[in-house]
Amino acid sequence: MTTYLAKRLLQGVIVLILVSMVCFAMFRFTGDPVVMLAGKDATYEEREQIRVAYGLDRPVYAQYFSFLKGAMQGDFGRSYVSQIDALDTILERFPATFELAVTAMCISFVLGVGLGVIVSISPNGVISRMIMAGSLVGISIPTFLIGILLVMFFSVYLDILPSFGRGDTVQIGFWRTGLLTLSGWQHILLPALTLSGYQLAVLIRLTRAGMRETLSEEYIKTAWAKGLSPAKVILKHALRNVMIPVVTIAGLSFGELIAFSIVTETIFQWPGMGNLLLTSIFETDQPIIVTYIMLAAFIILSINILVDLLYALLNPRIRYE
Amino acid sequence: MKNRTLKTLTLLTAMVLPVSAMAKADLVIATDAPPKAMNPHAYSSDANLSYMSNFFDGLLQRKAPEGKLGPALAEKWQRVDALTWKFELRKGVKYHNGNDFNAADVKFTFERMKDPKYSKLLNIANSIASIETPDDYTVIFKTKKPVPWFAETMHQNFIVDKESTEKIDDGEYNTRAMGTGAYKFVEWIKGSYIRMTANEDYWEGAPKYKNVDILPITEESTRFAALAGKQVDIVNGVPVTLFDRVKAMPHVEIISQAARRAIYMGIGNTVGTPFEDIRVRQAIAHAINEKEIIEKIMRGQATMANQIPDVPTVGYDASIKRLDYDPVKSKQLLADAGYPDGFEITIAGPNDRYVNDEKICEAVAKYLAKVGLKVKLDVKPKSIFFDELTSNKYHFYLIGWFDGSFDFGRSAEKLLHTPDKDKGMGTYNGAAYSNSEIDSLLIASSSIIDRAEREKALQEINKKSVADVAWIPLHYQQDIFAVVKGKGIKYQPRSDRWIVAKEIK
Repeated sequence: MTTYLAKRLLQGVIVLILVSMVCFAMFRFTGDPVVMLAGKDATYEEREQIRVAYGLDRPVYAQYFSFLKGAMQGDFGRSYVSQIDALDTILERFPATFELAVTAMCISFVLGVGLGVIVSISPNGVISRMIMAGSLVGISIPTFLIGILLVMFFSVYLDILPSFGRGDTVQIGFWRTGLLTLSGWQHILLPALTLSGYQLAVLIRLTRAGMRETLSEEYIKTAWAKGLSPAKVILKHALRNVMIPVVTIAGLSFGELIAFSIVTETIFQWPGMGNLLLTSIFETDQPIIVTYIMLAAFIILSINILVDLLYALLNPRIRYE
Repeated sequence: MKNRTLKTLTLLTAMVLPVSAMAKADLVIATDAPPKAMNPHAYSSDANLSYMSNFFDGLLQRKAPEGKLGPALAEKWQRVDALTWKFELRKGVKYHNGNDFNAADVKFTFERMKDPKYSKLLNIANSIASIETPDDYTVIFKTKKPVPWFAETMHQNFIVDKESTEKIDDGEYNTRAMGTGAYKFVEWIKGSYIRMTANEDYWEGAPKYKNVDILPITEESTRFAALAGKQVDIVNGVPVTLFDRVKAMPHVEIISQAARRAIYMGIGNTVGTPFEDIRVRQAIAHAINEKEIIEKIMRGQATMANQIPDVPTVGYDASIKRLDYDPVKSKQLLADAGYPDGFEITIAGPNDRYVNDEKICEAVAKYLAKVGLKVKLDVKPKSIFFDELTSNKYHFYLIGWFDGSFDFGRSAEKLLHTPDKDKGMGTYNGAAYSNSEIDSLLIASSSIIDRAEREKALQEINKKSVADVAWIPLHYQQDIFAVVKGKGIKYQPRSDRWIVAKEIK
């Protein structure tokens, strides 16, 4: 187990280094940050002055190694645009994204598994067919369209939910939360629904498939024959076995919810990391971009390792030797 | 049961609300660009200067709507000779931290502006040779070479407090703003809002609205939804594509006014290319149907431009006419120039910078194809476009321009003068257009002290540039603002689109 973990961690570090290298290679095609920084009034000479001040006059490999050296010590440099520490800038936005992802995750998990179970009990009922059709819609409609439709309906037409932002927030230590105020909850509802859409659809279909397979197993028939209550048979005996792949998928996509909530955050002007990334790309703010991508890779890697460990807990047959 | 949960919830919210329910803003303004930093010299873009104008004052200021230059921290100013500028400062002005404003702050500010680490306003700072402060309320600038628009930029060079700025200059100088302005900085939650509160001791009198929030909402449809849901009072930057929808909202007053920015096609005259021949440049100008571009692409939200400077700019000449849309004449000119079968032409342009920039490029491509040219389109994100533009990689490109200093001379040095890295000229002359006559007129004009005489010289340059088809003016953009009715808000938008909250009554 320990060797397995060590191996996974080592792999993770290698992946992170590769990711940072890809970023730096990519920057050669994203335009010259100095032109954006200097503004329209700057002359050639002034641009060169700025280039030197930001260390951009050095060759790419030198820039990369000084970045790597800093990164090892937790210093990812300063944003070109705001001149504020890159990691701080991103982490300041982390609570917003995390809360959004967790809320979306809860919505998709509870609704997804719940609806999946309902569908599997009476697969040919009218409600089941409607849910399945709905899940097809959830998979096929792109996120931005779901978001805009929700805004049009709830904010513009019904005028009951706010269309953007995070509402009132409360600062607790370094964490700024919106989950302790009414306005915060009103604001998180639409973006969380939007973000959960795709995953919700996937979880419904996954639960349904798993349940239908499990419900026809011999041991379920035995449970029914023993005269157990439907709740016990379905929830305890069947669902527990179905949960293994469901948890895996949900866990793996949680990382993606955090790292790639860019579209949802942009539509709802959600002050999270995704929103920051998009702005930074437009502004060629390389330190923010590379730090964000490395952080995203780090989160996804950690979650993958965690899910593997959790997997072993849920399914005692799995052992990592 | 249900009742109890509700009670608990109410109790919980009640416990939390006092912490968060701070003074609700009296005025909420949505804008399209987020601030980049709280350092007033960090960025020369109008989007950032707009935020700063609330926390800081310049030596001078510009008032809505047309932007006439007036006194601010300086009460009087004068161009003593070609190189010398004298400013007499206002007495009794205090910073938000209580410090007194005086000449030492002005000197410190302009010296700080020379350091690329803190400042991107290098252009004006580097033109200064020396700063003298004979007494606490007089500042005398000497420039290295004649800079006729020196005072014209003084509304955007914000003065900072020497004592406190020196102290934070290596720490949090980018996250907090503290000046002499009409509003005090309260909070900047990045990605959410900027909160500010009125400076009751402001030298011009306390502003009307006490607590003001400015929300940057970058996504067009989100700005629209915020307005539809009445979550904001003023929207700066209503998208052209949603103009009709916003106009139809009963609770919204819409203000559409001419923007200062001219959109034009830059064109070169490099020897050895077809563009060398003025007939080819004229042919291209005659081929473009600008009227249709304004109607179809801009949906009427633009006015035709005959020249690059706009009406309030020194150097604007009302007598200048544009080359009319005339495809027959265009073909004839091309044939005369020896290109009856056309030639290959690439249209470059940004796709995320100006209103409908990409669509305008596509339209121009279509018009040029009609007169027989073989057109290639090269439209890309601004970060790459401007990089290539400043290295003169193009022959024909779309760009927009306006000059914050209201001086055509300054624009022309960047856009029209032959590119010259050592002299700092022609930085944005993307196709390296070169005309030695215009170059020398331009250099000569910068030493003229008399404003009327200088205006005449600049008009002459302007006229020559259009006659020689150094560029093909398309249109001036229109800025669209929306104000929610029924709250008694009197808002007069500025031509530079700055949101100066003290001007909102």
